[in-house]
Amino acid sequence: MSPDDEQLDATFAALSDGTRRSILARLALGEATVNELAEPFDMSLPAVSKHLKVLERAGLISRGRNGQFRPCRLEAQALDGATDWIERNRQIWTDRFDKLSAHLRDLQAPPTGGTP
Amino acid sequence: MNDAVTDPTELTEVTYVRVFDAPRELVFACMLDPKHLTHFWGPTGMSTPLDKIVVEPWVGGAFRTVMVNDATGEEYASSGVYTEIAEPSRLAWTENETPTTATTDFIDLGDGRTEVRIHQTNIPVMFTTEEAQAGFKTSLDRFAAHLATLTA
Repeated sequence: MSPDDEQLDATFAALSDGTRRSILARLALGEATVNELAEPFDMSLPAVSKHLKVLERAGLISRGRNGQFRPCRLEAQALDGATDWIERNRQIWTDRFDKLSAHLRDLQAPPTGGTP
Repeated sequence: MNDAVTDPTELTEVTYVRVFDAPRELVFACMLDPKHLTHFWGPTGMSTPLDKIVVEPWVGGAFRTVMVNDATGEEYASSGVYTEIAEPSRLAWTENETPTTATTDFIDLGDGRTEVRIHQTNIPVMFTTEEAQAGFKTSLDRFAAHLATLTA
């Protein structure tokens, strides 16, 4: 796997959890501290911290160095990578279908016997 | 807190549909036989060499491919595991690189044509709908504007 693939892998793994997606949705509105993030989710601080670590490793958020509060912010670039994946995926299937269509035509073409 | 512009917390799915002018058995064979897959698995500008396709056509069997960029030689390996093989109507596999699963239905249209529906699930919704992406971007713009005021 290339580094890009590994990054994407981590991104998708991080996004596979509903709580983490909710945290990202909250961070899309502005940065927040762990305390602020924990409150609406009715979760313990350690539980939220654990989710934040996963998101941070995936490059989806970054943490400030601002003392004990260390506000979290969304890193839009990592999301771009995943958004690109969806678009690439769509294009790949469109291309595959085009090629499969041509391949099926070839398979079913009557033998020409060497002359057109 | 749940007042994001769009709720991106759902997992969703995408479906790609195409009608092929060929009988269902043949279309199904194309999706499961490396001899056929090598002709179309790589998108435009990429090839999938026959010797780099592994198909173990049973539930739990591997489905591995390597797509090669025709211009640069760069390789893209993918792997998955078959979760359903019901010839000639359905084929499903998980994709190891992402949390998605792909289910392919082959529908006999009764006139010699076959409809293929590729259905991928478990894709975070925030990436799939334009609305969701726009919503997310709006939030990000707002966030960027907010940051700008902080650093001004």
